Amino acid sequence: MQPSSVCVILTPVWVTNLFLLMQREEKQLEASLDALLSQVADLKNSLGGFIYKLENEYDRLTWPSVLDSFALLSGQLNTLNKVLKHEKTPLFRNQVIIPLVLSPDRDEDLMRQTEGRVPVFSHEVVPDHLRTKPDPEVEEQEKQLTTDAARIGADAAQKQIQSLNKMCSNLLEKISKEERESESGGLRPNKQTFNPADTNALVAAVAFGKGLSNWRPSGSSGPSQPGQPGAGTILAGASGLQQVQMTGAPSQQQPMLSGVQMAQAGQPGKMPSGIKTNIKSASMHPYQR
Amino acid sequence: MEAPPVTMMPVTGGTINMMEYLLQGSVLDHSLESLIHRLRGLCDNMEPETFLDHEMVFLLKGQQASPFVLRARRSMDKPGAPWHLRYLGQPEMGDKNRHALVRNCVDIATSENLTDFLMEMGFRMDHEFVAKGHLFRKGIMKIMVYKIFRILVPGNTESTEALSLSYLVELSVVAAAGQDMVSDDMRNFAEQLKPLVHLEKIDPKRLM
Repeated sequence: MQPSSVCVILTPVWVTNLFLLMQREEKQLEASLDALLSQVADLKNSLGGFIYKLENEYDRLTWPSVLDSFALLSGQLNTLNKVLKHEKTPLFRNQVIIPLVLSPDRDEDLMRQTEGRVPVFSHEVVPDHLRTKPDPEVEEQEKQLTTDAARIGADAAQKQIQSLNKMCSNLLEKISKEERESESGGLRPNKQTFNPADTNALVAAVAFGKGLSNWRPSGSSGPSQPGQPGAGTILAGASGLQQVQMTGAPSQQQPMLSGVQMAQAGQPGKMPSGIKTNIKSASMHPYQR
Repeated sequence: MEAPPVTMMPVTGGTINMMEYLLQGSVLDHSLESLIHRLRGLCDNMEPETFLDHEMVFLLKGQQASPFVLRARRSMDKPGAPWHLRYLGQPEMGDKNRHALVRNCVDIATSENLTDFLMEMGFRMDHEFVAKGHLFRKGIMKIMVYKIFRILVPGNTESTEALSLSYLVELSVVAAAGQDMVSDDMRNFAEQLKPLVHLEKIDPKRLM
């Protein structure tokens, strides 16, 4: 029996691993670039909108509207930061962009991609667009500042930092005190946009129904409506319980009032005790109406 | 019916315990437009969604002191949408540093005969209200801005009256237990809505 010849290509394991790693990195790079592109496009659009608003509607512009635009921009910058900090984004610092071809002719493709802003990929355009370091003068100034800072010494620097923090916090306190005082004096120039008492009332209503079902309109004759045969006019507390129990089969029609009407005093906390007296008083079914 | 904090219990199978992380605030009617405008910018880009819901809260009183609460919600403006049944546990009082209110949450979609079913089980309706407002989403966060209407004639959702001159603003996330970074994200988002609305964790027990 002749042995069949088998040809096997052996590659070292680490080479294949490296190859896969590079593929993954490329994919990551592409994905993160896409995300970055969409974020930047959003940011550009909102900036454009804001500029338009400032230029064309400046006589009708209100401060809240300006604040809105700023908040929008801040939100988008936040998301941009988050995308950059995301663990799946590779370090862009490790990537280098090199211009391969520079030409003074118009490039239609480039025009289209940059929406008409960059018509030519030439020697004038490239230093600005592919810049990675600041201007030489600015770099000089920065170096000057860093040597000055190093010269002061760690202790003195620490003292300066502390005094700056203290001054900032003093200032903040003064501002908040001023704000609080003017608020209580009623001189507040901006109108309040929310009312904390309302917040509490609404949260209480959603959480346990405060102010919802226990409330009765003063003028009407109580909750007498169709579908509530006989159990309608219960207004007093415990005495109402006796009336609530209907003879016959407990009807399931408007049962929500049976538990509630006992608490006519308007305190939801009293309800459990009301039910207990009901149980003691008569019928086997505690929820009979 | 008090259960120990859910996040401390070992996972021994069954469904994943979902927790609802919640921040609440309110905005006065005249500032609603600015808030909606800002939310439209900050949140995911989609058609502005309004909702009109009727929520009924059912109680089951057993031998224990505190009754078991279930919330049934139905849509009044989207016919054919399923009813929504929700259980919300007690807020977890563990971590003071946690920025949002955390409570156990179970959500189920049901058919239309939910109220009859609950009645047969022995639940009784405690209170009901109508909620009308706007819904926004940002990732997994859901922001609802709605006005609560008191129902004057029980069972009749046409005769309603606004409870206050404000809209309630709720920022909520439903996520698996133990994901506390969710509350950090929520706090960052809430910062962006200041000073229009102050979203904070409000303990309902304090308001009883």
